[in-house]
Amino acid sequence: MKVAVAAVALLVAASVAGARPLATPGVSSSSILIGGTVPLTGEAAAAAGVARGADAYFKYVNAKGGVFNRKITYKYLDDGYEPQRTFLDVRQLVQQDGVFAIFNSLGTSNNSAIRGFLNQAGVPQLFVASGASTFGRDYKKYPWTIGFIPTYSGEGKVYARYLLAKRPGAKIAVLYQDDDYGKELVSGLQAGLGAKKSLIVKKVGYDPSASDVRSEVASLKASKAKVFMIFAFGKFAVQAFITANQLGWHPQIVVNDVAAATSLMQLSPPKATEGAISIVFGKDPDAPMWKRDKGMKLFRSIMARYASGQTPNGYYAAGMASAYTLVDTLKKAGKNLTRKSVLTAATHLNEKTNPFVLPGIKVHTTPSFRFPISQVRLERWHKGHWVIFGPLLSAKP
Amino acid sequence: MSRRLALNTAGFVVAALVVAVLPRFISSYHALEWANVGIYFVALLGLNVLTGYSGQVSLGHGAFMAIGGYTSAILIAHHGVHDVWTIPLAGLVAGGAGLAFGLPALRLTGLYLALATFAVAVAFPALARKFERFTGGNAGLVLTLHTNDWLYYLSWSIAGAGLLLGWLVLATPIGRSFRALRDSEVAAISSGISPALYKTLAFGISSFYAGIAGSLVAISTAYVNPQTFPITLSLFLVVGLAVGGLGSLPGSVVGAILIQFLPTYAAHVSKQAPQVIEGAILVGVMLLLPGGAAGLFRLVQSSRQP
Amino acid sequence: MAQFWQQVVSGLASGGIYASLALALVIVYRSSGVINFAQGEMATFATFLAWTFLHHGISFWPAFALTLAVAFAGGVALERVVIRPVEGRPVLTVVILTIGLLILINGATQWIWGGAVRKFPSPFSTRPIHVGSAAFSIQDIGIVGVCLVAVALLTLFFRFTKLGLGLRAAAVNPEESRLVGVRVGWMLALGWGLSAALGAVSGMMVAPVVFLDPNMMQGILLYAFAAAVLGGLESPVGAVVGGLALGVLLNLLGTYFSTFGGEMRPTGLFGRTAVRRV
Repeated sequence: MKVAVAAVALLVAASVAGARPLATPGVSSSSILIGGTVPLTGEAAAAAGVARGADAYFKYVNAKGGVFNRKITYKYLDDGYEPQRTFLDVRQLVQQDGVFAIFNSLGTSNNSAIRGFLNQAGVPQLFVASGASTFGRDYKKYPWTIGFIPTYSGEGKVYARYLLAKRPGAKIAVLYQDDDYGKELVSGLQAGLGAKKSLIVKKVGYDPSASDVRSEVASLKASKAKVFMIFAFGKFAVQAFITANQLGWHPQIVVNDVAAATSLMQLSPPKATEGAISIVFGKDPDAPMWKRDKGMKLFRSIMARYASGQTPNGYYAAGMASAYTLVDTLKKAGKNLTRKSVLTAATHLNEKTNPFVLPGIKVHTTPSFRFPISQVRLERWHKGHWVIFGPLLSAKP
Repeated sequence: MSRRLALNTAGFVVAALVVAVLPRFISSYHALEWANVGIYFVALLGLNVLTGYSGQVSLGHGAFMAIGGYTSAILIAHHGVHDVWTIPLAGLVAGGAGLAFGLPALRLTGLYLALATFAVAVAFPALARKFERFTGGNAGLVLTLHTNDWLYYLSWSIAGAGLLLGWLVLATPIGRSFRALRDSEVAAISSGISPALYKTLAFGISSFYAGIAGSLVAISTAYVNPQTFPITLSLFLVVGLAVGGLGSLPGSVVGAILIQFLPTYAAHVSKQAPQVIEGAILVGVMLLLPGGAAGLFRLVQSSRQP
Repeated sequence: MAQFWQQVVSGLASGGIYASLALALVIVYRSSGVINFAQGEMATFATFLAWTFLHHGISFWPAFALTLAVAFAGGVALERVVIRPVEGRPVLTVVILTIGLLILINGATQWIWGGAVRKFPSPFSTRPIHVGSAAFSIQDIGIVGVCLVAVALLTLFFRFTKLGLGLRAAAVNPEESRLVGVRVGWMLALGWGLSAALGAVSGMMVAPVVFLDPNMMQGILLYAFAAAVLGGLESPVGAVVGGLALGVLLNLLGTYFSTFGGEMRPTGLFGRTAVRRV
């Protein structure tokens, strides 16, 4: 009898000790495979820096030993900004390449196209590169998804509060891109204005496939508003600045963050953009004020080392900011890395050290609050550069 | 003639067997890629009826795919219809739209027709955004997911059925009228064929196929939004058609393979400039193989026969 | 009413942009009977070349002339190498070839110059002029003016020069032209060269307004198609009138019928005009 018990005990002990834990896809003792999609070609190819910057940061981390001795490989595929291709890319990354998680994929509809699949497969969809609030808000339906940058609606509210405080009673005209992106900014603005919603005297949408927005700006000018909101994308924002100036309309201009890249702003003649206002949460590599900043020095040295020959602009810095947070998350998830542990870590962030975002901004999440960056400051365009002013503001959606 | 029929039947059976066992030898993800090939094949079959057999050029078949895709998506997402049942409905709705479009398009010939259809494809995403209440706007509609193997067998059974149906239709007097119109409209009219009737019919049939293909796209992606059916899709369909060969239904498989794998292959060859590779291959194929893959096949065949 | 005039004036300015590319489309159509889908990409590529010349310190007008010359040579070369071998084949084959070229040239532009948006200097002042209630700039007049000059030159060329007559003859009736000694092959190549040069002009006029990036002409190409069809595909004058009319019409529709505006713009009209023309 004793022998039997001993044998059973041995069997149990052996099977417990010897059983290998179910391997987590994409993770070995020496590596972590992360996947992502980004437009390397097509209309939005300029934003590819978001992935390349993140990739450069991972290489830097790997050179310093990786995370718990695991080197990070970031495999990002081109989706040409088409959701259909994003979907196929992500299927390939998950089913063929066996990535651990999807990280930093760019675009609202692109991420919408893969969210259902990733959540069904239980693959973390981390730090979505889009400001659509659905990625942080709908966690009950999509528990494996989490956003990163401030939401468009939160951004709209910040502008509303600023205008109510500094320009009370001023009539507002809005140019917006006629899709979810532009509409979420508009609805944030309206929500922030609350009872004063009627200050918006005119809003005109433009089709993203249009060639220019001159007609739209001309009809907004006719409203004689004192504040002009530009909720646009890329060069449409530049055209809006220039057209307003050419028509002799000089309102207070507010331009949304996505359209406010320094490289874009510098395309307009200084007279057209002087005094424009936007929000900021990441350090702008083109802004003189960060020249001696430690974080931006690190940024430039990583760019020189791991992304040489590429222009170190805001897209790369944004990519590095979210890569930094991912590395932080992986550290927090611990040595025994699983998809579950990384999700837990991503929803319990309290990071105050991200060198690529503004000092004082806390990258903060809880299981029911999934908007990692929800603090911003205001900035004003002055003599060819953005100058930050005012305190940290809440940009909660 | 009966020998040809026997050959065709044998070919079809062999191809069906290959298609049936293929998933056992490839990974799950590759099964999904080949499911897509099946979907493009369905769309190209329809486009071939229109362009290859009745001589009308459409640069906007992506729009008819979109109509089918949205029909399925709306039925599934808003009305809880089981996705498989929406496929024939999607074909019918898109076919109806094709008939409706074919009628005014009768007055257009050649390039004007091509441009008009192109305009439809350009307009569609904007329309889908406009009717946000039904289409979900840019956020799109999210559908149920399926396994890759299931999608593979679904799309290839439909492709097989579509091929047989295509052969049947083209073997009837309808098919003969199509060809007569393509070869000489004047001669066709003088032998009593109504161009209006048959040209519209060709549009309807090809849109029916496109709608089914679009429905399959929606079901396999489990998501539609206006950019699911971009203008480039319409252009690539025409390219696939030409590469597969006009007027050869089985040749369309080659076109479908091209549509699915060319971008992946080009990205594999050059990460820096995938489009350059893609464009160069297209130009090269059109220069070297003006008759498409089917033309090459015929060439090989005829050189063998003394 | 002030709004109305402003919209008409900005419509003319936008219309000038469509018209300039539509002209290039019409020239190719006249010489080889096809629509060149790569026309916009060729123009963008040429404009990037101009940007490179300017970047290397060449001043505007010499760079402009140099670009025209290179574009012309490029157009001739394209016709000889790519279009020539498929001469006489179905229109579809040629259309697909130009689609292949579209993808290729767009990729090449992206590869060589990257995707960033760039500034492109304008030969004309952008200082606003106010006439009554409408404001416009010398640049706007310049674009329309360049279009008109191009049309005038083309008309003179087609009417009164031997080369121009030969070009027309070769397009209308290649067989007979060959008999009377017109070198038809070279005439077609000349047509492509001309249209590439015209496209380059269009690109360099457009870039200061909409800014230079690899996809600059893609939206404009659609409007140019519409303008060319509106003007009858065959006639340079028609293309310019079509472009200007389209610009004004779209602005007015967009302003006064907002349900029509924005999204429906590129194509509602486009399709309809195509029907009417035939």
